Amino acid sequence: MLGEQLLGNLIQGLVLGCVYGAATMGLSLIFGVLRVVNVGHGAFIMVGAFTALLLFNVFGINPILAVPVALLIGLGLGFAVYYLVMQRLVQAPELASLLATFGVGLLLEETVKQVFGSEFRGYYWSVGQLDLGVTVLPMTKLYACVGSVLVAVLLYIWHRKTRAGRALRSVVEDAEGARVCGVNVNWVYAMSFAIGIGLTVLGGVLLTMFIPVGINPYMGGVYTLKAFVIAVLGGLASPYGAFFGGLVFGIIENGSYTLLATIEGVEPFALTRALSFIMLLVILLIRPTGLFKTK
Amino acid sequence: MMRINPVRKWLGVISLVAGMVLAWHVPARAALDKVVIGHSACLSGKYAKAGEQAFGGIQAAVNWVNESHGGVSIGGKKMPLEYKYYDAESKKESVTSLLERLITTDKVNALLAPYSSGLTLAGASVAEKYGIVYLDQGGASDKIFTQGFEYVVQTIGPGSKYHTGTLDLIKAIDPKATKVALAYEDSEFARSVMDGAKEHAQKLGFDIVFQRTYPTGVTDLTPLLSALKATKPDIVLGGGHFEDGQLFNRQMADLDIDAKALSLIAAATLPAFYEALGPLADGVMGPSHWEYGVTFSPVRANQAGLPWIGPSQDEFVSLFKAALGKDIVPDYHAAEAGAAVLALVMGIENADSVDSDKVRKALGDLTFMSFYGSWDVDETGKQIGHPMVNVQWQNGKRVIVAPAAAKTGDIQYPMPTFAEKTVKE
Repeated sequence: MLGEQLLGNLIQGLVLGCVYGAATMGLSLIFGVLRVVNVGHGAFIMVGAFTALLLFNVFGINPILAVPVALLIGLGLGFAVYYLVMQRLVQAPELASLLATFGVGLLLEETVKQVFGSEFRGYYWSVGQLDLGVTVLPMTKLYACVGSVLVAVLLYIWHRKTRAGRALRSVVEDAEGARVCGVNVNWVYAMSFAIGIGLTVLGGVLLTMFIPVGINPYMGGVYTLKAFVIAVLGGLASPYGAFFGGLVFGIIENGSYTLLATIEGVEPFALTRALSFIMLLVILLIRPTGLFKTK
Repeated sequence: MMRINPVRKWLGVISLVAGMVLAWHVPARAALDKVVIGHSACLSGKYAKAGEQAFGGIQAAVNWVNESHGGVSIGGKKMPLEYKYYDAESKKESVTSLLERLITTDKVNALLAPYSSGLTLAGASVAEKYGIVYLDQGGASDKIFTQGFEYVVQTIGPGSKYHTGTLDLIKAIDPKATKVALAYEDSEFARSVMDGAKEHAQKLGFDIVFQRTYPTGVTDLTPLLSALKATKPDIVLGGGHFEDGQLFNRQMADLDIDAKALSLIAAATLPAFYEALGPLADGVMGPSHWEYGVTFSPVRANQAGLPWIGPSQDEFVSLFKAALGKDIVPDYHAAEAGAAVLALVMGIENADSVDSDKVRKALGDLTFMSFYGSWDVDETGKQIGHPMVNVQWQNGKRVIVAPAAAKTGDIQYPMPTFAEKTVKE
């Protein structure tokens, strides 16, 4: 019985971890290229969640189709925020960009609150389920998981195999050198920021496919915290590291519950959170660059 | 040794005497021309939904007092009731600082607590420090009344009574149902509710087969619900606040956990619950303090030997909609907040003063009925007079299934399975 529960929770954790990973890649990409910590990360997740909610509830559009729409909205938002706010702050002290992204996050939350109110909303989309014996997986969660893997693979291909990806890597390596070689560094920064935000907004849609309730202007806070743990776990500047960091986080978050529940007198849920942070501290002690960063 | 200049010494004495004489002649307070009630409201943050309802309920009651009741009567003179509020953003630290501001800067005569047991408890210490009446309209935890607070007076029913009606109802219709699972938010309110439910369930002979908590702000309940599923409960009592209640129901459906009855606190009774979950919410129950359709009237008050105060139910609904400028039906958060204002007004009028000690004593002696139902508190300030109602979603409609005197339909038991409810696209 315990083994079945553990296996079931590990499968659930793996699926959730994929979505966590996809929703964190944008944070890592932005930090990796611009060295900007996007404290407003959760607010962009919320924008994605509202995109899925509105497209489904108002226009009846399938949440899968909301994914490209969210990506486009995220790209637009990303370019706008970069040129209006971040462009001036790329070379500024970290605190300036930290406060700026925090402010943008607040602005987004309050704007959404003014327009849609502060209710917790949700949508009802049911497309069947997969009974694995040890656990039941709704197809919506599987779609979210497959979508997350697909996004990670596409980002990898773009990053490694395209001209724009090469330009981005050259800027990460040496911005001045890239500039001398004719790379438009400011454009690379803008593109990276926009893609990072695009991925985050898209991640918000995937998260609602996993959990289609609790959609609220302030829902992002908890995901910001998780994203930081996941990003540091995977090596803060590495988007792929973030994806695998998400997987590890999801598995530990879900799997540890079953094991902790066997301890008499312990409330396992409270400890799973503590365990995630203890794990983070241990990894930082052993591998300060994160689990998946090679150098 | 330092010597004091005799001139300075006499100047000091004269200043002191002059000060005392002035203090004697200048009235300590300006003459009372209005009654001000202060509120650290939850208009944003995680309790914004319930906070907006409470805000509308308070405004509705204040408007009724000023427009229909003619104001608050003190010393034979009617004076307006003023509502002063700040948004505490559902944060503990904001609640305490804003209550201090309301007391020291705005000089309010009484306070309305924010929503939730945790925030009510946080603010209670401030009210006690200044000795000002603190009306608990959204904090149900019994713990609030075991702290020795003298100025806290409750209108919402205590948490320990939330599930007693549900369990009584199920025991009466299905004696074979024996296994109860409790899974709830690790919050003051939910702990209080579930402690009461556990005690009552054991008294009725139910077995508690599962009891676990989950942290506030949880985004995935899968591991906890997987463990709950393994115990195959007949009855699941869960939840804490609106957002986790939604999540609880949704993920029970995801994991195909079917019980004969599912009751969720502070979530299942709200229209937004069904809007978010659709048919998955059918059959789900929730305890409520008030629902539109429960009729309390001057006639019933007369039959119960209680004085009546306040608007009728329909008047309250109109005032609520006008106050918020929205066409939404008030829920129990609005009703209990409005009733707290009515209780205060009666307390002040019975005390014939805004003095906190006199008003507190008058509230202790007060019993009345309003659109919200009957109202009475014990010596600690805990609500003992207000009856709970049980609501169940049936085909998208909220049906009051208990108590018998107030019900609008029969309970659907056992509730439909999630497979029966799921509409595949």
